[in-house]
Amino acid sequence: MRLKAKTAARINGILMFLPYFVLLVMFAVIPIIMAFNVSIGPSRLSPGGGVGNYLFVLNDFRFLSALANVGLFLAIYLPAMLIVVAGLSLLLDTISSKYTVPLRLAYLVPAGITGSVAILVWYFMLEPSYSPFAPLLAEFGLTEGTDIFNTSNLIYIFALMAFFTGAGNWIVIQYGSLQSIPDEVLEAARVDGANAFQLAFQIKLPMIRKYLIYMLILVFAAGLQIFVEPFLISSSVYPGLAKDWSLNQLSYTLAFTGSNLGAATALSMMLMLVMVGLALIVIYRTDFFDEAVVKTEKERA
Amino acid sequence: MKIRYLSGLALASSLVLSACAGGGTADDSGSTGSTDAASAEGANSLLIYVDPVREPACLAFQEKMAGEAEVTCEVVGQEEILTKVQLSNQTGEGWPDVTFNPSNNVGIYQDPLNGYALNLDDYVDPAIIEGYEGSGDWCLIDGSYWCLKNDLAQTVLWYDTVIFEELGLTVPTTMDEFSATALKLEGTGYVAGAIGDQGFYAGYLWPSGCPISQVVDTDTVRINPDAVECTRVFELVQPLVDAGVLDTRGSFDAGFIEDVARQQNVAMTIGPSWWGEFVIRPEDSWGIEAGRMTAAEMPTWTGESTAWSGEWGGGVWVGNANHPNPQLVADAVVFLATDPDMREDKVTFPGYGPAFKKWRQRLIEDPFYAADPTEAMVIQAPKIRQTERPARFDLRGQLGVLGTEIQGSSDVEAATRTFMDGAAELARGVGYTVVN
Repeated sequence: MRLKAKTAARINGILMFLPYFVLLVMFAVIPIIMAFNVSIGPSRLSPGGGVGNYLFVLNDFRFLSALANVGLFLAIYLPAMLIVVAGLSLLLDTISSKYTVPLRLAYLVPAGITGSVAILVWYFMLEPSYSPFAPLLAEFGLTEGTDIFNTSNLIYIFALMAFFTGAGNWIVIQYGSLQSIPDEVLEAARVDGANAFQLAFQIKLPMIRKYLIYMLILVFAAGLQIFVEPFLISSSVYPGLAKDWSLNQLSYTLAFTGSNLGAATALSMMLMLVMVGLALIVIYRTDFFDEAVVKTEKERA
Repeated sequence: MKIRYLSGLALASSLVLSACAGGGTADDSGSTGSTDAASAEGANSLLIYVDPVREPACLAFQEKMAGEAEVTCEVVGQEEILTKVQLSNQTGEGWPDVTFNPSNNVGIYQDPLNGYALNLDDYVDPAIIEGYEGSGDWCLIDGSYWCLKNDLAQTVLWYDTVIFEELGLTVPTTMDEFSATALKLEGTGYVAGAIGDQGFYAGYLWPSGCPISQVVDTDTVRINPDAVECTRVFELVQPLVDAGVLDTRGSFDAGFIEDVARQQNVAMTIGPSWWGEFVIRPEDSWGIEAGRMTAAEMPTWTGESTAWSGEWGGGVWVGNANHPNPQLVADAVVFLATDPDMREDKVTFPGYGPAFKKWRQRLIEDPFYAADPTEAMVIQAPKIRQTERPARFDLRGQLGVLGTEIQGSSDVEAATRTFMDGAAELARGVGYTVVN
């Protein structure tokens, strides 16, 4: 009887996983294999194939600057996300429930703007000739578009765009994870004399820690691949301003204007390795999935 | 443990999927074309990619060929064409059969490793080529024609007759005179144009003969910022920038348009032939008032006997070498590039002589111009300096770096060197040997 139930559970599990597995093979595994084959195939400057395309990318004059750009961008974007999202979701969790619905909506609205639209919105807000905040910008000595849209400011501009399009979603999600903290725990802390700050920093924050880490990893994955913002701003608004600014842009350029698909796929494979490495860290070096394991073992017993 | 493994796999794959997504946006837009293209295969069908401006020409061709060939017109931005052709090269099918391209693309398509461009020599009547009177030679690579010019974007000297009269200026015929004239604008609020964009390349470096994309042979390109043809540009332009009579913003910069151009403060500017109808005149662009502007010939650089032009734009029509019926492809290229009726009301200067004559008439009679601007355009048309040639690296993209650097530093020499160093790296990256 027990054996039968186990088999049924296994079949159910397989059935539920199957649709995902099919898509995974079609749109991830096969493209990755194809990309890998192209990346070790021959190209103009690496007729023998092998690691030649990888070395070509690593030696490309744009590679290091793109890496530095993305690195600095992440160094600003990730802490900003972590601090603001954790802070605002904690605040949202403390206030009276009649305000949370409109506030949650308010956080979500900016997230409705995608990266491509954000370019236009921020361009109009930051370009002194169009901006409704032009007098304010002038106070800071910013009177021409090029005072703002220049290479040294790009990291901040993209971080700003990414932050405003991404933070709202995560505030609401982390608010959700705060809601999952059992009331008894909070009640017990209050009885023990914890004030609002202690409650936030010593009880709530540690309890949603793993969700924050999970967010950081997904945000890192998205940030590492930043493409649309620099691509659009340098293809239309300020031609060339952020050309090959990010690693994904460099990959795109190599493929389509550099006629070097081998090098482009080599770069993509390297980015993928970083992603897989991160995923493995999340799985094996954090306790993100531990709870699930404990629960199921309990259920089995 | 199994659950842990499965959920781990799910997370890993979602990260991997998201890793593919960034690059995927471009692929997605690219692949739509290929699927449509599949239906247009066959000896009597043609798939034509045009930008919105060129769509009427394509529709006219479609109508003309009704019953004889199945012509599909698809509007695809100029920026995307190269991407789509590269994707088709990768999949080995689905090429668009005729495409409207930025001029430098032909250098990439003509490369045997790419192989997209159809050699037009055997399929185009030599009389058509002769009709260009040499101004279509951009398309002449290794002794064959690989494209037909849609329009010429030769630079001319645009100037404001009202300001010139007010200040008692005469139209400069040499670059030294240009510089002297520009310096007379100091303190008046008037400027001699803006250089923080492609205009500095098209209007100064190229006419001077600065070797940036000087293709010597299939494997060699000359790029040398130390050449006198480059250094004389730095020496002439920097004092004008320092004096504030050349704006370091771009000609399309919102601030420049608002603060300078729309205030009717552009005394003169070197710019391509299409600027009159597309930049100087439109209300929502520079909005220069009627009766002020006209065009003069390019000033000559010291030591040169010819007043050379550069080019900013000037699209080309390219045919697909993989099509089973190359004659049909070539006929489409010829119609799209040269049909006089299709060019009459366009903003750009038709490259093909007979089409140009029809186009010109309209501008001569137009009271917007203080004097006939086409005279100078005609004189400059055969004077597009042929030192700059289509190369298989993306010079057009790299030109953005030039504009950005000029805007950022106001140091034209440093900006140009950064731009040219990048161009040299790009050239090496596609297998050129770079020489001085």
